[in-house]
Amino acid sequence: MKRRNFLKSSVVASSTMMMPAFLKSGFGQTKLTSRSGKILVVVQLSGGNDGLNTVVPYENDIYYKNRPTLAIPKKEVLKLDDGLGLHPSLGALRDLYNNGELSVINSVGYPNPNRSHFRSMDIWQTGSASDEFLSTGWLGRYLDSECETCPVYQAIEVDDGLSLAMKGAQRNAFAMSNVNKIRKAADNKYLKKMSQLAAPEEHNVAYLYKTLADTQQSTDYLYEKTKAYRSKITYPKSAIGKDFKQIAELITTDSPTQIYYVSLGGFDTHSGQKKKQHNLLKEYSQAIEAFTKDLKSNDLFEDVVIMTFSEFGRRVNQNASGGTDHGTANNVFLMGGKLKRAGFYNEAPDLTNLASQDLDYDIDFREIYATVLDKCLNANSNAILNGNFKGLNVL
Amino acid sequence: MIDQKMQIKHLYLRAGFGLNAREWMQRKDWSIKKAVNELFGQAEKSKPLATIAPVNGGIKSEDRKERFKFRTAEKQLVKKISVDWLLRMADPRESSLMEKMSLFWHGHFACRSRAGYLANNQLNTIRKYGLGSFKELVLAIAKDAAMIRYLDNHRNKKNNPNENFARELMELFTIGIGHYTEQDVKEAARAFTGWNSDKQGVYELKERQHDYGRKTFMNKEGRFNGGDIIDIILEKNETAYFITKKIYSYFVNEQIDEPIVKELADSFYRSDYDIKQLMLYIFESDWFYDPKNIGTKIKSPTEFTVGIFRQLNGVPTQPRALLRVQKALGQTLFNPPNVAGWGAGKYWIDNSTLMLRLSLPTSIFNSSNLAFSVKPELEDMGKKRIRKLSATIDLDPIIEMTEGLNTEEILETLQIFLLQSPLAIPQKRIQSFVLEKEEREKFLLNFCIRLMSLPEYQMC
Repeated sequence: MKRRNFLKSSVVASSTMMMPAFLKSGFGQTKLTSRSGKILVVVQLSGGNDGLNTVVPYENDIYYKNRPTLAIPKKEVLKLDDGLGLHPSLGALRDLYNNGELSVINSVGYPNPNRSHFRSMDIWQTGSASDEFLSTGWLGRYLDSECETCPVYQAIEVDDGLSLAMKGAQRNAFAMSNVNKIRKAADNKYLKKMSQLAAPEEHNVAYLYKTLADTQQSTDYLYEKTKAYRSKITYPKSAIGKDFKQIAELITTDSPTQIYYVSLGGFDTHSGQKKKQHNLLKEYSQAIEAFTKDLKSNDLFEDVVIMTFSEFGRRVNQNASGGTDHGTANNVFLMGGKLKRAGFYNEAPDLTNLASQDLDYDIDFREIYATVLDKCLNANSNAILNGNFKGLNVL
Repeated sequence: MIDQKMQIKHLYLRAGFGLNAREWMQRKDWSIKKAVNELFGQAEKSKPLATIAPVNGGIKSEDRKERFKFRTAEKQLVKKISVDWLLRMADPRESSLMEKMSLFWHGHFACRSRAGYLANNQLNTIRKYGLGSFKELVLAIAKDAAMIRYLDNHRNKKNNPNENFARELMELFTIGIGHYTEQDVKEAARAFTGWNSDKQGVYELKERQHDYGRKTFMNKEGRFNGGDIIDIILEKNETAYFITKKIYSYFVNEQIDEPIVKELADSFYRSDYDIKQLMLYIFESDWFYDPKNIGTKIKSPTEFTVGIFRQLNGVPTQPRALLRVQKALGQTLFNPPNVAGWGAGKYWIDNSTLMLRLSLPTSIFNSSNLAFSVKPELEDMGKKRIRKLSATIDLDPIIEMTEGLNTEEILETLQIFLLQSPLAIPQKRIQSFVLEKEEREKFLLNFCIRLMSLPEYQMC
């Protein structure tokens, strides 16, 4: 049993030897900030996951009437409470629910919803209103306002590149699909040498060399941290399984990283939904199962909050191709070892009075962002979200 | 004042995508006037792109599966158009100025195109007016089917106006925030009602949807249509300033020199928005060649990738792989992040994009696997890997340029040729990374790769 120690302030020690001369004079000293709060893991289900088949209203006739062949049969639903249950693939979430470690927030959306993937994903990633176009991500703005001297791996996206959510005006998160991969890329004798020797004069070139140095140092640091440790839990061989394993290993070896961002794609099920969604949710559930098991085995689950969302839900009625089309409101999952309020946060979506087969939202997604920003990250959510969102009493 | 050959290099980098070694050797003693004449002369000779027809004649199918098939075919066409454009940018036989100017306007009039014929038509519009009259350019864009659909103007109807296009026209494309009111946006929207297109993407005024009534716009009154609105906006010299500032930022320096920009804006306004004249003015001014403007711009993904091929006289053998690289670096043609378009400078740089940029020359010329996965389109299933990237190069220009030189001189020459920014590293240290025993071509190529793998090569 390993208990987590929140780190106290200290200077990044490991690679100062390799720092280029022009940085040694205090240009870009980074400090490890002592972390308070919890680690946030954001899981993005890309493409618009069908919420009604994920959190299933198995006692609602309207559901079955609108989805004659696509609705989940009542006997297959993993029943939870109040006529709501989970898609049969989500065994791990059922277990978390029974342990009081899952909160399901129904009908999450925003006013004037946009049904374009492109726009809606931007809205979610930038934390904007439906008619606003922001060019920074909500987590990027968190880094801007709260992380002036944090190391660049304060926020890690488990991917080869960064999403808009993780880009700020002055600061960006760190993109890496796994430590070995970035190490291989950074393990370049030439670049290492050049980086050490560089004495740039022009400010843009200096910025590039600084970013290079930060990347090399971060890579070294993360590699050193995790090299001796491999999780003892068996993770599924899927991409998302591997991503979660990487996250778990970083958390367990005490990386100061406070935010992880990971995504799973393929949810745009306009046709052949039954099988596609079944498989994807199974991948997701199995990855979550291994991850939570891993964290629990090291007594770390209480220090972590996992937030799962999709850029929109789908319409109530099934279409002519065994699928569903873009919709609006959807559910959001919050998981953690120490939730203030577990279970269903609010009522199931109302399937009556549907003007156009689109579900109405009940909770603005920015309330959830405010909740995690305030409670997990101890940040000022108002400034970051540019609005007064009180948050939910879930964490 | 920097020397002649560096000025020539600066000009061709900013007005185009650079020069290969032979071209540079030929031009390094030219006067700026001569070089500018060549650039503009070539631009004048460039031809419109071949027309591309809409898939299925632009007619929407009743069958869902067929609709999906047509949509996919259109997306493939856009990819082809993007690839062709990238290849044109890198081709010394094409007009670099035309392609660079088109890239600038393409970024300015940010628009997502998901159909080949729409993207192609828009690009042709930009090519036709991009070095001509800004007034005609704006009017043509307002009538462009891709833009009409992107900014919902096809939904802008007399009984139910949609303000999206009118707003972005003023906020982003012409005069900028702070010089018009919300009421102006409403009235302008009315003037553009009915501005639509037919199934082949040709502009069409839907008369029954057009509001012919009197409008009050920027304190003027009349039965304005879209063209009138554009005229009124351009009558304001704030418009000239807004556009000039953007052009200055892109072609000269992100740090704005106010007196110069004001002078340029006044000239642009007085010339009745003559783009060619503005660009001539910029490229022929002494201040353009001031050291503070040389090598101070971080290349956009397009300038960077195209520049590699342009300078080394190379052609990518899998141009489609290039599209994935572009995506990974954050710049997909015909697919800006939103209507505000792409950013510039540091905007392009994070740990992932920087490492990819620094490793790209090695990957291309050693034909190795990039081992990078690109995020999927939200409609797609999974991440897509960038596989092999390779190129065929003609090293003769470089061989000629370094004829008879010793190792140190070779490095010096290549460094001056490839980099705009002074080396932040002692030259000797780079030398130690290249094996002298290798045969000449390999040796030269390796030197080039070493130099192109430095952060300094990211600057132009």
